[in-house]
This record gives sequence, C-alpha cells and structure tokens, in this order.
Amino acid sequence: MPHQCTNCGRTFADGSKEMLSGCPDCGGNKFQFAPTTTAAAESSAGTAADTDDSGSAGTASAAAQSSTAESDGVATRAAETVRDWVSSDSADEPTADAAERSRSDDSTATSAAAPNQSWPSSEDAAAPESDTSPDGEFDEWPETARRPEDRSGSPDETAADAPTEATTDDRTRSDDDWPDQPSSGPTTTMADDENSAQADARSTVVPSDDLPSHSETPGRESDPSSRNGADRDPAAGSAVDAHAEAETEAAVDTGVDDQPPDHGRVVSEPSGQRPSIEELRAELNEQFESIKIVRPGQYELNLMELYNRDEYIISLQEDGRYVIDVPDSWHADDDGED
Amino acid sequence: MGLFTELKDSISRATDRLFSEQEPKRIGIYGPPNAGKTTLANRIARDWTGDAVGAESHVPHETRRARRKENVEIERDGKTVTIDIVDTPGVTTKVDYEEFTDEMDEEDAIRRSREATEGVAEAMHWLREDVDGVIYVLDSAEDPITQVNTMLIGIVESRDLPVLIFANKTDLDDSSVKRIEDAFPQHKTVPLSAKEGDNMDEVYDNIAEYFG
Repeated sequence: MPHQCTNCGRTFADGSKEMLSGCPDCGGNKFQFAPTTTAAAESSAGTAADTDDSGSAGTASAAAQSSTAESDGVATRAAETVRDWVSSDSADEPTADAAERSRSDDSTATSAAAPNQSWPSSEDAAAPESDTSPDGEFDEWPETARRPEDRSGSPDETAADAPTEATTDDRTRSDDDWPDQPSSGPTTTMADDENSAQADARSTVVPSDDLPSHSETPGRESDPSSRNGADRDPAAGSAVDAHAEAETEAAVDTGVDDQPPDHGRVVSEPSGQRPSIEELRAELNEQFESIKIVRPGQYELNLMELYNRDEYIISLQEDGRYVIDVPDSWHADDDGED
Repeated sequence: MGLFTELKDSISRATDRLFSEQEPKRIGIYGPPNAGKTTLANRIARDWTGDAVGAESHVPHETRRARRKENVEIERDGKTVTIDIVDTPGVTTKVDYEEFTDEMDEEDAIRRSREATEGVAEAMHWLREDVDGVIYVLDSAEDPITQVNTMLIGIVESRDLPVLIFANKTDLDDSSVKRIEDAFPQHKTVPLSAKEGDNMDEVYDNIAEYFG
C-alpha cells in the first residue's frame, strides 16, 4: 500500500484509482507515498489510537466528530465535483449501494470481531509505543489519523440516518455511500476491483501488461487490513462496549510486534526483493505526477499527464507526500471573463 | 473601423439570429509563454467587438487563467463567422519564479509562478475538453522546435482539431517565418504582428476559412 491519505490514514494499493478522486473516506486530497513499512506502522498506530478513543471516551470522539464534520463540507464538495467529472458511470451506484452498505454496516457490527483477528494483532501491538511516540519523521500522523478514524466510527450514525438523508439530501448521502462502496464489498471482489482500477488508472500511461508484479499482492493484502480497520471502527464507534472489548482481546491474543513489517514484506514478495523508497517514488512519479515542485516557486510540469487527467497531482519532494488537486473552480469559469 | 464595423455587426447579428445553424466554434489560442497570445486575442476582440480580453505584458505568464470572449463575429467576403476565442495561459514544462524576480519581489514572483503552473494545467484541460479549433501562436523570433510546441501540436493533431499556426512578432528583426513553416510544414502558417496589426486581413481570412 504505497499511498496513504494524510487526513484519515486510509491506505491505497499501488495504482488505485480511488484516491484520484480524493480519499473516499474523508475526502482529503493530500496523500503521502508511504513505503510499506512506514505505512504499516502508521496504519497500526492510527487504528490503535482509535481503539483507545472509541473504547474509552465517548466525549472525545464526539468532539473529534464535530471537528471532522467541518472539514467534511469541503470534502463533500470536492467529492461531488470529482464524481461529476470522473465517474458519471458510477452515478447510479450509490443508490444501489445504499441498501447494501447499510446492510453491510449492520452485519459488520456482529461480525467485526471475527474478521479482525487477521489484522488487529499489529494494531494492538503497535498501540503502546506508536501511540505515544511514533517513528520520527511522521510524528504528526497518528494525531491526524485519529480524527477521521473517529469519524469513520460515526458512519453508524450515518447509516442509521440513511433513509431520511436519502430523501432530504441525496447528494450528501451518496457521497457518503460512494466512497464506502469498495470497502463494503467482499474481499475477493475488492481484489478484483483493485486490479481493474489499477489497470484503468494506468491505461493511458502504462500498458496493463507492464503493471508491476507486486501490485496485486499489496492490493489484496492491504485492503482487507484497511477494510477491517474501517469496518471495525463503526462497530466500536457504535458504543457497543462488548465489541470494543472483544476486539481488544482479540487483538491482544494475536498481538505480534513484527506484524507490520511482515505485512510490508508481503508487498514486495513477488518480485523477490524489496524496492527501495527511491524506486517506489520514481515509479510513482512516472505513473502519476503531473506537477513536480522542485522548490517553492519552481515547478516542472508533465504536460501529457495534465492533458490526460481532470485532476492534477502535485508531488512534494520531501517525504514522498503529494497532493491531488481537483480544480473545481474550472467549472465556475463558464461565463468567461473574470 | 469602428462605425463601419458596428453597422455591419448589427446587420450580421440580426441575420445570424435568423439563420444561425450552430453554436459558435470555440477557438483556443495556444502557445508558449510570451508568444503574444493575449495581444492577438485583444487585437481580434478589439477589431470585432471593441472590447479587450486581458492584460498584456512583456513579463511571461501574465495570463494565468483562461479568458474567453464569446460571439466574436468576423466578417469576410459578405459572410459572417462567429467564434468564441479562448485566450489560454502560456504552456511550458518549467516555471521558475526567478524568471520574474527582476520585475517584482520574490513573494510576488513565487505567487506568479504558482498561478502560472495552475494556468498551464487549466490550459491543458481546456485543450482536452473545450476547444473546437486551435490557433497556435509562436514568436517568430524564437526557435519553434521545442518540446512544448511539438507536444502541443501533436496533441492537437491527435484530436483532429483544425489548427492554424500564427508566426507572430514579424515586426522584430530576428523574426523568421520560414523557420516556423519549416518546423511545421503540415500546417498553414500565417505571419503577423499582433502588436502592430500587420497582416491581420490574412489572419481573418484564414480564421474564417478554417473555423467558419
């Protein structure tokens, strides 16, 4: 999972097209290029932090929810714009999805503990250390990751409100649904989606047979993890203490410190060697980058990328972080002379 | 040509309303920074509508948002061709604020640089989505064979859009229209000086012929 939303910590498989429209979970448009180990460590830190929050303090998460609600307005608008532009074919999905989603959310509540066992080990393991002192260069991450995790704890509310929302504000509702669609599907479907998404995302840049061999595995491997994380949070956020406890226990049972590195290694296993950060970054740049910030005020532009995509992707040099910018202001320019 | 044009305009506008067959074609004015795109757009707009499109400057990237002038009615040989002209930001592969620091302080230069970069993105977006024809403006005193020019003209060709190449700045001593004709022999090249208004008749003839 080389890509991670800097807002909510959601991770994306290499080449995933989802993030091109902003983060489906929180609408954030800032991502970092997360090398496998860092990503694993961070996602574990984020989710572990969340476990603490949702397990113990309802007030804390409520406060966090309200703060995310503010940013949600922007996110919703961005998501709307993107959807209008990019996925006209998916316009009908949300409605079809609505039922499925609320169903799957409900079922998640009951099944959350079980599927978690495959992953939460690392979450819990990482909790004590990374919650307080995560790895140096991304110190702020667990902090920022926490809020949206709390927020993703709130989708239960959203799901419960679904019928009224659907009638009053279809767009907002569908925005909630739309991002969740991939994560509510079964694992196998998810993997398939991921592959087609990758192929699609690259089709104009790299022939599909050129897809890196390791990209399938991370897709399959990382998505269940993030999915479980996402699914679990609603369950925990629903204030069912039993679930939270069960989860924590399950996590403790299977807790292994080196789970994240294991997870990371799987990503590069097919190629037999772990690509360096530089290689991954170069690959990322080649695939996606449309604007490179050499330093403030100095830019290099990939005209073909700019021509081929609605959104443009700006890579910052440091930390492999980058921004996907969706210039919705272009819409408003129809009357011309400004 | 003020009064005369106005009179003709009002007549042709009336006939156009009666016999308008289709939406006016949207013609994008493209080219590298400082080729004279806005000067040309202003020249066309002033000649046929009386209004300007945008500010001109010798500092590159003066135009950082696409600007549109709608319903520019160009009258040729008794017929009227109506087009929307879109003046786009100059397209380049590199933007460097140090290019502007002689003209403004560093903060403004960096902002200009950032806006220029967004402008390129917008210009490319327009090229993909919103133009029906392209006027490609080149500074005829500069070498036309650059990555940007070949790539943009390649994109235009791949979209099968009608394209005219305007060899601008023929008033400059270093101007060489032939260098441009040789670089892009597959397209019609029209020499002009948008600043001086030289050869504008041929410009309008070709616009009417290619985009009418």
